[in-house]
Amino acid sequence: MTQQPVVSVHDVTKIYGKAGEKQYQALKGVTFDVQPGEFVGIMGASGSGKTTLLNILSTLDRPTAGSVAINGKDVTGLKGNQLSDFRAQQVGFIFQDFNLLENLTARENIALPKALQNVSHKQQQAAVDKIATTLGIEGVLDHYPTELSGGQKQRVAAARALVQQPAILFGDEPTGALDSQSARELLNTMKHLNEQEHVSILLVTHDPFSASYAQRILFIKDGQIGQELVHGDKTQEQFYQEILSTLGTFQQ
Amino acid sequence: MLRKLALGGIKSRFRDYAVLFSGLVIASAVFYMFMALATNKDFLNQNSSVGMTSFIFGLGEVLLVIITTVYIVYANSFLMSMRQRDYAMFMMLGAKSRKIAQLIFIETVTVGILAAAVGVVVGVGLTGLVGQLLMAQLHAPATHFAALWLPALLATFAFFVLMFVVAAFVNAHNLLKTPVLALLHAAQTPNRLQLKPLRLTVQAILALVLLGIGYWAMQQLGTLQIAGLALALVTIVLGSYFLFNSLLVWLIGLLKKNQRFAAKNLRTFTLSQLSFRIRDYTKILAVVSILFALALGAITTGMGFERDIPTLASMQNTYDVVTVDATASTQAEAKKLTGVTSQTAYHLKADQKHVYFDAAELAKNPLLLVTTYRLGGVTPTKVTAQNFAKAADMAPQQLTQFLTKADFGKNVTVASAAQFAALGGKTHVATTYQVSDFRANYDVIEKLANTTAKQNGFKSADEAGQKFAYYSLINGIFSGMAFMGFFLGIAFLAMLASTLMFKILSGANYDQGRYLMLQKIGVRPQLLRRSIRQEIGALFFFPGLLGVVHVLFGLQLFKGLIQQPYHNLYIPFGIFIVLYGLYYLITVWLYERIVVKKDIATD
Repeated sequence: MTQQPVVSVHDVTKIYGKAGEKQYQALKGVTFDVQPGEFVGIMGASGSGKTTLLNILSTLDRPTAGSVAINGKDVTGLKGNQLSDFRAQQVGFIFQDFNLLENLTARENIALPKALQNVSHKQQQAAVDKIATTLGIEGVLDHYPTELSGGQKQRVAAARALVQQPAILFGDEPTGALDSQSARELLNTMKHLNEQEHVSILLVTHDPFSASYAQRILFIKDGQIGQELVHGDKTQEQFYQEILSTLGTFQQ
Repeated sequence: MLRKLALGGIKSRFRDYAVLFSGLVIASAVFYMFMALATNKDFLNQNSSVGMTSFIFGLGEVLLVIITTVYIVYANSFLMSMRQRDYAMFMMLGAKSRKIAQLIFIETVTVGILAAAVGVVVGVGLTGLVGQLLMAQLHAPATHFAALWLPALLATFAFFVLMFVVAAFVNAHNLLKTPVLALLHAAQTPNRLQLKPLRLTVQAILALVLLGIGYWAMQQLGTLQIAGLALALVTIVLGSYFLFNSLLVWLIGLLKKNQRFAAKNLRTFTLSQLSFRIRDYTKILAVVSILFALALGAITTGMGFERDIPTLASMQNTYDVVTVDATASTQAEAKKLTGVTSQTAYHLKADQKHVYFDAAELAKNPLLLVTTYRLGGVTPTKVTAQNFAKAADMAPQQLTQFLTKADFGKNVTVASAAQFAALGGKTHVATTYQVSDFRANYDVIEKLANTTAKQNGFKSADEAGQKFAYYSLINGIFSGMAFMGFFLGIAFLAMLASTLMFKILSGANYDQGRYLMLQKIGVRPQLLRRSIRQEIGALFFFPGLLGVVHVLFGLQLFKGLIQQPYHNLYIPFGIFIVLYGLYYLITVWLYERIVVKKDIATD
């Protein structure tokens, strides 16, 4: 008996453009699961449909057909407040461009999801301090985002995503705007979160190095999942090489 | 090519330009409206009973210039913030500084001239419309009033073109001095809330002292004269600015520090939104508080003058109209009077030298004659046979309205019921009417007074001693003042509206991303809306509050001119607050439409 998957995508299609007009099919029947505690990477070139997929997973977009369940709950039909609450409680996001509120300090940014639940100030701060320690940003909590480096900003964003202990953390090219050192640190942190804190992570990227941190990689091309690689017992270096060679053949 | 580049930006950001442009159009329209009165010396001299009117308008001009300048500076920085990325891109692609400067010049001056041109057209239309409406409403002759007034037109154009040429130079200079990279990434860097207690305290004290001096100066206008007005102008403008600069910063800091308060919902965010652009807002809030005070003050004094017309007329004569020997058609006309509070018929008889009232009738319905004079309205004396001689001595002209021309000049007196019955000759019937609202019955009363006068041989209602004559005399003097009050009140209200809306909507673009982000991380739309309502509410509330205080002290200026400047304040205040409230709701609605998406998921 396997556990209920934290993300379950079944035969999802997405067509842009209204019937009768020029249509474009971004996703053509995508099906996969993410098990609790998994770290899954989704790779694909620009235009492959990976951003569309992530938007649908994170309820920012709706599929044309098919179902998406997160933590066993079908999210495609959610509306209004239910949808907002679902986003606030069940999923965490990290975006390429951080999406921090630049008029709030790091601490206020991280505490925001807790404040929305009307948790007491004391508990908010305790939660912020805990997650900040985990992510190594306890020293910069009282700075504004403009006063932080890219890597620090992304950690603050990650802390904000995780402070609610969501079922899953979605990353959309989180290392895209970071230098290699910061990117490596962030990825190590994510790996640590995944292994030690058992956070389920779904990472969308086109960067092979970032992807090599995942346990399993799904390759998406022209709106379909074409291939799957499993980290298994390989070293990260080996896995990285495997990804590179797969990409080399997959893209042709 | 240059022109194409310069105008190309307008198409792509039409909504922003629409906000900017409509704001500037309102500003120039209001400028024109004010100038149409201020530069029309004939109108001012004809329609005001106050020698200082020209000077008051002069100060008004200074104030309006200050306000419009602040407005234009804002509009310009908004224009630049929209365009600087494009300019930077051109520079990056190798455009020469001279070319860029030229581009900025063309754009800025074009916007200015267009705004002035459209504004003047709108201003002429509004001036005509508002003028006609008010004149009809107030029965104000408003002689020499002209909607299309050349000096005002020239003044508006000259001012706007001058301002925009200066602005163009400043823009070009600033832009060329800033490094290209900084322009490309002109991200909004937040102001760290500067809570230097000493500076805040000094500013707060300065604000209170300045406002105190200003309010005192307005109260002491009698002794300070013109210098007092100038002093009040300077101190109140500066005081308002410092008050917002210190008070608002202090208040936000205080609320944010109160963690139990701030840690709920989006409160931290709302407060941060406010503090984020606090420097910008303090200037605009000071301007808004002054515009608020000007608009409300103008409307309140306008109402004061308007209210004074019937009050002053009543101090001359209690009866709104008196008919003598009314014909059938006059009686039919009298039936049209609305809100009649009393109607009494008196019988009079005359001999060679005397005209007699019936003592029995007076005992039953004493005459109401005004025999004392006092500010703020009088209580008429009840006149019966006992005190008739004394009252008739003090107010002979009020008895004229009971007489026909043939009896005019005879000694009016009282006969006992028996004597009266024994008197021969024709019996005249004089019917007095009192109505609750003279203005509402203006046309009927005019007709009654004139026909009665003509019918009984008088040349005019004036000669016949009718109240209507006093009323139109006072109306002629005071309605001009009331007209100016209402006219300027409406003009300032329009300016106030566009200033706040412009400021708030011009920031909406930056906020869009922030609100979208909040929605993405799962903030309920209704919570966002509440945050918006609170943020904008604060921006409306504080200047409104200060504006009300300004008006309460400012009414001191009119103590000598209006009977009771503070009487029934709730009417103008109520009307104004309702308008302001509506305006708030519109702004919130517009703002929400820009920044809150109903459903961020697309199908």
